[in-house]
Amino acid sequence: MIDYLRLSQLDDVLEMLWAEGPGILMLAGGTDILVRPQPFAGARILLDISRVEQLRDIAVDPADDCLVIGAAATHEEVAWHPQVSRRAQLLAQACRLVGSAQIRNLGTLGGNLGNASPAADSVPALACLDAEVVLSGRNKQRRLPVLEFFTGPGSSVRQPDEVISSLRLPRQRGRQVSFFLKAGQRRGMCCSKASVAFRARSHSDGRLSGVRVALGAVAPTVVRVPEAEQVLEGRRIEPRLIDEAAAACSRAARPIDDIRSTAEYRKAVVGALLTDGLFRLGDKMKQRRRPRRRRPR
Amino acid sequence: MKVDVQLTINGQPAQFRVEPTERLVDTLRERAGLTGTKEGCGVGECGACSVLLDGKLVSSCLVLTVAAHGCRVDTVEGLARDGRLNDLQRAFIEEGAVQCGYCTPGMLMAAEYLLGRYARPTTEQIRQAISGNLCRCTGYRKIVSAIRKTARQRAARRTGR
Ligand SMILES: Cc1cc2nc3c(=O)[nH]c(=O)nc-3n(C[C@H](O)[C@H](O)[C@H](O)COP(=O)(O)OP(=O)(O)OC[C@H]3O[C@@H](n4cnc5c(N)ncnc54)[C@H](O)[C@@H]3O)c2cc1C
Ligand code: FES
Ligand code: FES
Repeated sequence: MIDYLRLSQLDDVLEMLWAEGPGILMLAGGTDILVRPQPFAGARILLDISRVEQLRDIAVDPADDCLVIGAAATHEEVAWHPQVSRRAQLLAQACRLVGSAQIRNLGTLGGNLGNASPAADSVPALACLDAEVVLSGRNKQRRLPVLEFFTGPGSSVRQPDEVISSLRLPRQRGRQVSFFLKAGQRRGMCCSKASVAFRARSHSDGRLSGVRVALGAVAPTVVRVPEAEQVLEGRRIEPRLIDEAAAACSRAARPIDDIRSTAEYRKAVVGALLTDGLFRLGDKMKQRRRPRRRRPR
Repeated sequence: MKVDVQLTINGQPAQFRVEPTERLVDTLRERAGLTGTKEGCGVGECGACSVLLDGKLVSSCLVLTVAAHGCRVDTVEGLARDGRLNDLQRAFIEEGAVQCGYCTPGMLMAAEYLLGRYARPTTEQIRQAISGNLCRCTGYRKIVSAIRKTARQRAARRTGR
């Protein structure tokens, strides 16, 4: 038997978590919880946090110019928010590829993290955007880099009295280029077999800096690939470097065989995804660099 | 403990006393008698159970009824007016977009959601909009043409031509 409780104030949620922590199952969109074999096993209170306004805000924090995204914002809200599109295009792109409209209208960023699946699509994007997770409890709060939140498939450093309250994305300087690509069974509605997120600053001479590469679904948690990043750092995109970076991704993948795919396929496909993304990005950047003819006055 | 839930279903106020674990698809079908909404997979993958919740397309097998308290729920039963099918439903029939019909209520709701947001959707947008709805019979093309046809008709009516 489980009791249902819906709260609308963040303080009340924190108070409740402090008092009843381990017995509480937080419900946001429910798109992960409701498909679990025993959705409510072990919980005494189902705490609905989906209507806590403070957890749904998306806004820039004037103090440090970070874009702050409330954990209970849905994928659809994040995907189409003007600030997110402007400052974190990569995250918008990843959120647009989650499930289908039916899923994106329910599922939240906080739930995507809270479920701690290595296939969570928002996570590689957040990792490339240097995002921090904010964990809040009664009289306490901590921030950590998003990948430090996860400790394995389905597990995280979250304490029973903490809620994921928001994600903080620092402002990125200069012109940004990025992409998120995933491979799955079909285009709509499907969990990734492998995904790649890429972000860098692109300079006027075509060189990249601050390169970030993260992989989803090919290891127990989402991983960054420093070897691939170093290959491209300070360089222009060219075929030889693309091959090297892709090989580094395949090497970094530590996939498991599971119901969705084999390990071998996953290793190959992450490399192919990065290759595909970088070739397309390279073409786009070349077109941009080609000097345009001045218009006569 | 059971919970009182108020919903506005197809414009009509409704009240239920439900267990916290009851799903909206079951409340609609078993309590409200609205069996138009279908359950296919029960895990969010087929779209047969699609309804509009406060105007947003969702899978009703993934929504707990308690969590929908105070919300508007629009189901396929709300599309017809005075026993007359709406233009989208008629287009589905005319274009042959219905075979066994199991996916149809979900397809209609996904299409209404699209048409509510885009007056002139491209074919790609239409395909995207129904990408969360599985159909095992039609091969989708006739569904896409029915939606395209309705979009054209509604646009024409709006501009008065
Ligand atoms: C058909 C289908 C397709 C899907 N496709 C994709 C996909 O393409 N990509 C993808 O990444 N995911 C996909 N998913 C998974 C799921 O939709 C996402 O992970 C979603 O973001 C989960 O969010 P939610 O709000 O629904 O989580 P819930 O189910 O409400 O919660 C999930 C977990 O997180 C916890 N939690 C929720 N919010 C918080 C919080 N603020 N603080 C702490 N803990 C919290 C909950 O207690 C629970 O343990 C799919 C799911 C389905 C059913
Ligand atoms: S029954 Fe809900 S999506 Fe299949
Ligand atoms: S008509 Fe049979 S599933 Fe679509």
